[in-house]
Amino acid sequence: MYNLTEDEKDVLQELMNVAYGSTTAVVADMLDAFASLSIPNIEIMNVSQLLSNFHSLKNSSYFFATQTFNGEFNGESAFFIDETSVHNLATHLELESDDDLDDAILELTNILTSTLTTKLAHEMGTAVSYSLPCISKVPLEDIADVEAFQQYTQVIVIDTQLNFQDQKINGEIFILTKDDSIQWLKTKLNTILEELI
Amino acid sequence: MKYLVTDDSKLARLSLIKSLKSQVGDAEIFQATNGFEAIEIMQKEKVDIVFLDLTMPEMNGYEALPKLLEINNKAKIVVVSADVQVQAKQRVIELGAQLHVQKPINVEKMQELLEII
Repeated sequence: MYNLTEDEKDVLQELMNVAYGSTTAVVADMLDAFASLSIPNIEIMNVSQLLSNFHSLKNSSYFFATQTFNGEFNGESAFFIDETSVHNLATHLELESDDDLDDAILELTNILTSTLTTKLAHEMGTAVSYSLPCISKVPLEDIADVEAFQQYTQVIVIDTQLNFQDQKINGEIFILTKDDSIQWLKTKLNTILEELI
Repeated sequence: MKYLVTDDSKLARLSLIKSLKSQVGDAEIFQATNGFEAIEIMQKEKVDIVFLDLTMPEMNGYEALPKLLEINNKAKIVVVSADVQVQAKQRVIELGAQLHVQKPINVEKMQELLEII
């Protein structure tokens, strides 16, 4: 079982903060809206714990989009957006059909997750490549059946909120990585800190 | 000259202090991890330049900024943030910040911003 030290958490949180700041600006520009930034929460946990955390989310149904990223730092980004936010997004973008809305969520996910992981990888001196994002609407009681989670045992969860207050659009982004990537990440985080001390 | 570096992240503080020291040598540099700590230091020390993060626990940069200027209106506040949205930049300037700079600040960027302010 891997654990992150306080220093490793701090470094990853700050790198994520920098990456997320740039990501938010891109999405805010796309939506012509202002987002408030929150401090990312970072934890290593078993997938069973992650799934039980998902169950604590308030809404009963979420749109759920994932995108795999590959490289030295590899894993999967997951973006959750609740139904109310999806409807608010549709109103904000003046979308009329469900197809348009699916397309907008996919595009939002693509921009969010690819910008975020690209920036995060860049801050760590590496690069990542991507698969196409896929989207599904998942009732929370079925979340454990989502294929993406079944390939992981232990994951590092970087959880941050997308929050456009005026438009009432809220989402949550998770970056999930596997054991080999966690080991690579720990080494990298310590190198970054050691270079400053 | 006295400097205050306010950021909840140890990495961000160490990185900024390293760049700052490359330009100002052995100047007095204080550190705070949130707005409350920054205010406490400002009440005790006559700080000339404050580097202030926005996203922090306890008291964030938006809340701390006007309070820091209330204590010392001659202090120059440089907001150092990952939030590069136009509205965020406008808001901190309206609150009295001298500059808004995107994180992280390397040596070259530090040299430029010290020249500007």
